Amino acid sequence: MPLWRRKSFWLALSVSWLLLILLGVFPLRLAVPPGPLPGCSQGWPRWLDAAFLQSFSQSETLPKDAPQLSQAPRGSSCTWGACFDTSKCKGNALKIFAHSPAGTTTEAHRRILDSLEGSRYYALSPTEACLHLFLPSQDHTCGPLPPYWNGGRNHLVLSLYPAPCTRLGQAMVAEASPSLDIFRPGFDVALPYLPEAHPLQGGAPGQLQQHSPQPGATLLAVAEEKGRWRITDTHASTCPWGKHCEQDPGLHQTHPGETLPNATFCLIPGHRSAASSLLQALQAGCIPVLLSPRWELPFSEVIDWTKAAIIADERLPLQVLTALRDMLPSKILSLRQQTQFLWTAYFSSVEKVIHTTLEIIQDRIWGTSAHPSLMWNSPPGALLALPTFSTSLKDFPFYHLQQGSSPESSFSALIWVGVSSEPLLKLIQVVAGSRYCAQILILWSSEKPPPDRWPETTVPLTVIEGRRKASDRFFPYGDISTNVILSLDAHSTLSTSEVDFAFVVWQSFPERMVGFLTQNHFWDEARGAWGYSTEMANEFSMVLTTAVFYHRYYHTLFTHSLPKALRTMADDTPTCVDILMNFLVATVTKLPPIKVPYGRQHQEAVPLAAEGPGPVPEPQPLAQDCFSRVAAGFGHMPLVSSRVRLEPVLFKDPVSVQRKKYRSLEKP
Amino acid sequence: MCASVKYNIRGPALIPRMKTKHRFYYVTLFSIVLLGLIATGVFQFWPHSIESSGDGGVEKRSIKEVPVVRLPAASPIPERGDLSCRMHTCFDVYRCGFNPKNKIKVYIYPLKKYVDDAGVPVSSTISREYNELLAAISDSDYYTDDISRACLFVPSIDVLNQSPLRIKETAQALAQLSRWDRGTNHLLFNMLPGGPPDYNTALDVPRDRALLAGGGFSTWTYRQGYDVSIPVFSPLSTEVALPEKAPGPRRYFLLSSQMAIHPEYREDLEALQAKHRESVLVLDKCTNLSEGVLSVRKRCHQHQVFDYPQVLQEATFCVVLRGARLGQAVLSDVLQAGCVPVVIADSYILPFSEVLDWKRASVVVPEEKMSDMYSILQNIPQRQIEEMQRQARWFWEAYFQSIKAIALATLQIINDRIYPYAAISYEEWNDPPTVKWTSVSNPLFLPLIPPQSQGFTAIVLTYDRVESLFRVITEVSKVPSLSKLLVVWNNQNKNPPEESLWPKIRVPLKVVRTAENKLSNRFFPYDEIETEAVLAIDDDIIMLTSDELQFGYEVWREFPDRLVGYPGRLHLWDHEMNKWKYESEWTNEVSMVLTGAAFYHKYFNYLYTYKMPGDIKNWVDAHMNCEDIAMNFLVANVTGKAVIKVTPRKKFKCPECTAIDGLSLDQTHMVERSECINKFASVFGTMPLKVVEHRADPVLYKDDFPEKLKSFPNIGSL
Repeated sequence: MPLWRRKSFWLALSVSWLLLILLGVFPLRLAVPPGPLPGCSQGWPRWLDAAFLQSFSQSETLPKDAPQLSQAPRGSSCTWGACFDTSKCKGNALKIFAHSPAGTTTEAHRRILDSLEGSRYYALSPTEACLHLFLPSQDHTCGPLPPYWNGGRNHLVLSLYPAPCTRLGQAMVAEASPSLDIFRPGFDVALPYLPEAHPLQGGAPGQLQQHSPQPGATLLAVAEEKGRWRITDTHASTCPWGKHCEQDPGLHQTHPGETLPNATFCLIPGHRSAASSLLQALQAGCIPVLLSPRWELPFSEVIDWTKAAIIADERLPLQVLTALRDMLPSKILSLRQQTQFLWTAYFSSVEKVIHTTLEIIQDRIWGTSAHPSLMWNSPPGALLALPTFSTSLKDFPFYHLQQGSSPESSFSALIWVGVSSEPLLKLIQVVAGSRYCAQILILWSSEKPPPDRWPETTVPLTVIEGRRKASDRFFPYGDISTNVILSLDAHSTLSTSEVDFAFVVWQSFPERMVGFLTQNHFWDEARGAWGYSTEMANEFSMVLTTAVFYHRYYHTLFTHSLPKALRTMADDTPTCVDILMNFLVATVTKLPPIKVPYGRQHQEAVPLAAEGPGPVPEPQPLAQDCFSRVAAGFGHMPLVSSRVRLEPVLFKDPVSVQRKKYRSLEKP
Repeated sequence: MCASVKYNIRGPALIPRMKTKHRFYYVTLFSIVLLGLIATGVFQFWPHSIESSGDGGVEKRSIKEVPVVRLPAASPIPERGDLSCRMHTCFDVYRCGFNPKNKIKVYIYPLKKYVDDAGVPVSSTISREYNELLAAISDSDYYTDDISRACLFVPSIDVLNQSPLRIKETAQALAQLSRWDRGTNHLLFNMLPGGPPDYNTALDVPRDRALLAGGGFSTWTYRQGYDVSIPVFSPLSTEVALPEKAPGPRRYFLLSSQMAIHPEYREDLEALQAKHRESVLVLDKCTNLSEGVLSVRKRCHQHQVFDYPQVLQEATFCVVLRGARLGQAVLSDVLQAGCVPVVIADSYILPFSEVLDWKRASVVVPEEKMSDMYSILQNIPQRQIEEMQRQARWFWEAYFQSIKAIALATLQIINDRIYPYAAISYEEWNDPPTVKWTSVSNPLFLPLIPPQSQGFTAIVLTYDRVESLFRVITEVSKVPSLSKLLVVWNNQNKNPPEESLWPKIRVPLKVVRTAENKLSNRFFPYDEIETEAVLAIDDDIIMLTSDELQFGYEVWREFPDRLVGYPGRLHLWDHEMNKWKYESEWTNEVSMVLTGAAFYHKYFNYLYTYKMPGDIKNWVDAHMNCEDIAMNFLVANVTGKAVIKVTPRKKFKCPECTAIDGLSLDQTHMVERSECINKFASVFGTMPLKVVEHRADPVLYKDDFPEKLKSFPNIGSL
């Protein structure tokens, strides 16, 4: 073998050896790309034999049958199904009887009992009740248990303030800010921690005057002892609370005099004694930031607190602060509005708190026909939206936007025939002439028997025999087939154009009353009471219900939610019905009614004022009296004034009448 | 490994023989070395095949090869679950820390096989579902492979079903996990808890502070706000496709399909059937099925055989009764079939009850009231039943249909607790897609009339018509409720007039200079705007009287969520051209108001600038037109409400050409405006504008009433 060949052979051999050794000792890593493969995530492996894995339930041997059912738990572990007997509530209607309180009757007890009496759930005798109210005494004696106690079954122990004796037998407990450890969800009811001077009725409105926070408004207020608030400048200090950072007293001012915080967010510490600050924040429209609350939020069973408050972890001060600072304006806007809605709907008075508690219990009894969550959590709130009216949200005047539905396109005319039966012919023709009219109902309230023959109309005409009471006109008659009602008096004079236009306007404002003639309320300094006037004015706050469009739902609300005392009063003074209905609708909408034009020729002929011919310049003293009594009955003044009248787009414009849709409105 | 072994053995033996001159040896030697080299090379370059346990790349290997961990008999056992645990007591939130995305990070422990001292496995390694569950978490945004950055830890120890588990050893296996720390921030998934004879409603494995996602909680074992109640997954849902069935009345009113039912309950059900005959169907397992037929897929009533779960689609209501356990897989089948579940299981915590509103999709009947069930159900109106059927199917599609859906919903719930300010709302959890598309949530939903004292800020957009601008400023400054005047100077080539030349007015006047001549500058949310009400007014609108402007502001106060403007316009559907058309003639209807003179809430400025859908904002700036139409679309879309046109029609000198110099009401202009409407309608995907037939005037407008007693006498003067 030539030398060069041998040399090259040796060379090749040694190189191969070297390579072999190198590769063996330091395995080449080139094959595996460093880091994750593009498109593949690192993580849980894809097993080659994954397809052969057994299902988790495969190895399960089905028990032959269920084991003996355990006894219903008692006392501390009560649930609604186990500890409340719904069969005692006839027709699923909650009736509550209040036993006289244990021990001395305190001011708090009296307020509870007062608000209960105004409720539609109030029972006069213990035998008709399916829920018994027990008011525990504030001292440690716990008091004697009431008769019918029955181990606490179907009892509600209610205490507006923390009381020593609440957990008794199988009774439900409704107490202020219960600790999370003892609260039984779905059985107990968490109440708000009310201040001592909380109004019994009505209550102060929310303090929010505008939707969005004022520019430059303080971001943060921190709840301190005794309902005080500390305003904190978050831009200077990075940590306004907690022990995790140093506090510099120079960076914040304390306003001991201020009882309500004026800030965008209100920090509320988690301990139970801070619970009373929640209501202050709600009233002030300051978004509550609850730091790991150790107490159950009020009415948490039905109220979606995430829509009005932020429940954050107290251990992450910086993170919470950053999140508050960076919060989108849209979120702040909706949280602020929700605080105000909740305050007005459920918390502003003792009466509302008590009624909400009962409404929650009634909802449990109703089961499937309870208020849907949307009713609890959007205006006007569950106390003013009765699920007995309908279980479909689309039937109510308030939820069209959320439901993506639109109001109905036809109405029912309800004509009330009172003492003086005028010729109805013309009115029926005018109403039937409207292309939106679906039916005409004659509510016969006269002593005389109704005529046998009625004029021929294109729409069905039904006669209802009234009970000759003024409140008849707002009774939810089953014959009413549409959701919109045009309520009329026999002596009303209208034109078809007016009816058509008013109806089209109503479709834009389905929750309000749309009327022709208006009245105005004012504070009468001389009498020291509310008064009202029917004079022509630049403002109005009520519409006469003798010619008005509104949603059928208000009939149900009028009949089933108004306190009986008010309805009786309305029956005694017919003009009062009008006022009562206006108060009711204003309480629900918080907005003024809508006024549409009314031909002057009618105004001069016969006024739409209720009962009695001839113009009534000023309401009779009786009616004025009624007005102030209704205002007192509501506990606050719900009426809102408007300076606007809605008219056809071309109303009295200098164009040819031929181009106008509602021509008869143009007549001088 | 193989190659290096070869080298070790052969190598040293061959070296001494290298000096021999036998060619045969050389050749053999060389080939061996070459072979070795090739073998090594092949092994090195073969992708993934030799990659053993580690953290790089997606692995493909067999479950049989997972590392084995021996648990000494004396290794520690965690304490039993702490019933008082809450997020703020048992959960270490510091591990989650600040996170701009507001997402928790979840780590999954690698799979191991646990054996006891005797080498006997503690359990079967992993079930199909748990493997799917971990894969789903691993594929999600929550996953991290960095244990030190994780906020939540998911063990790969499968406890979905308690029955095959050896309780003590499983607990020991949990306790030896590297970050166990009393179970803090550890999440266990369990669907079938308890075991005979008394079937606990939560996993019996001691787990200390670990969170439990459990499928059968009762009120006594469920730690509200800490544990997560999850469904029991039904393997049938992957096997059988049940197409969605339209809601409505079905063949049977009430159906019971479960096989293992307590005899007492079966008696109750059969009594119902005897009473209501045709409308109730109570099924049981089949006793006389031929070989090879899957018994889980058949149900029988007397001798009639039904396919399961298809038969569920024939019923309006389906009974979901507690068995030995509270959580039943049949709930998932029932929802899939769009049948409304009638849940009879006292104290049962329904799946995801923390976020799902079960009242909308189910009926809960107390066990005691089982015999009244039929009449309870009959009292539900048909419309509500249909809603519930739709809702039931939607719950299944969103949260029940796959292991992945269950895993992600669980993590989302925990995520929402840790980042509450970024939490998903009730509507997002509960509203079916059809409702989400059609519903409108007005950003200004609170009925509120802002106080008059707040006043409004007038914003005048101007380019260089100084004389006309000054006239507008003088006129507007006469309005009592004006609180500030802002001039947006849109001309970059020319400086605004000197301060001394501006009209002297009683309110602050500010001039904002813009960087670019864009129409959208008019709608920018300037810090200078302190009032909620904004009056947008062009620099040539001099014909509006003080009364008219003041009245406009009053109208806005009564309708603060709407655009309240003076000249009104209408959109119409052109049937010939099959598209939208812009109309500015004297019509009986309006659907838009021009923003050359309009009041609106300043929040809409924020929306216009930052939340305008699609490319509309840029499109408007590029075309120098239609910013007002865009604003009308935007407001109508978010509020679902119509505009309010105030006061009678006036002779506006040239209302259309306010922003565009010299352009008159000619044909091209109308075509352009029509184009805008069509463009915006396509971007919004709908026509949000609402047509109304009314306008707003003062209460006593044109009434026979002394003019001097009217609040706004000077309205409609030409």
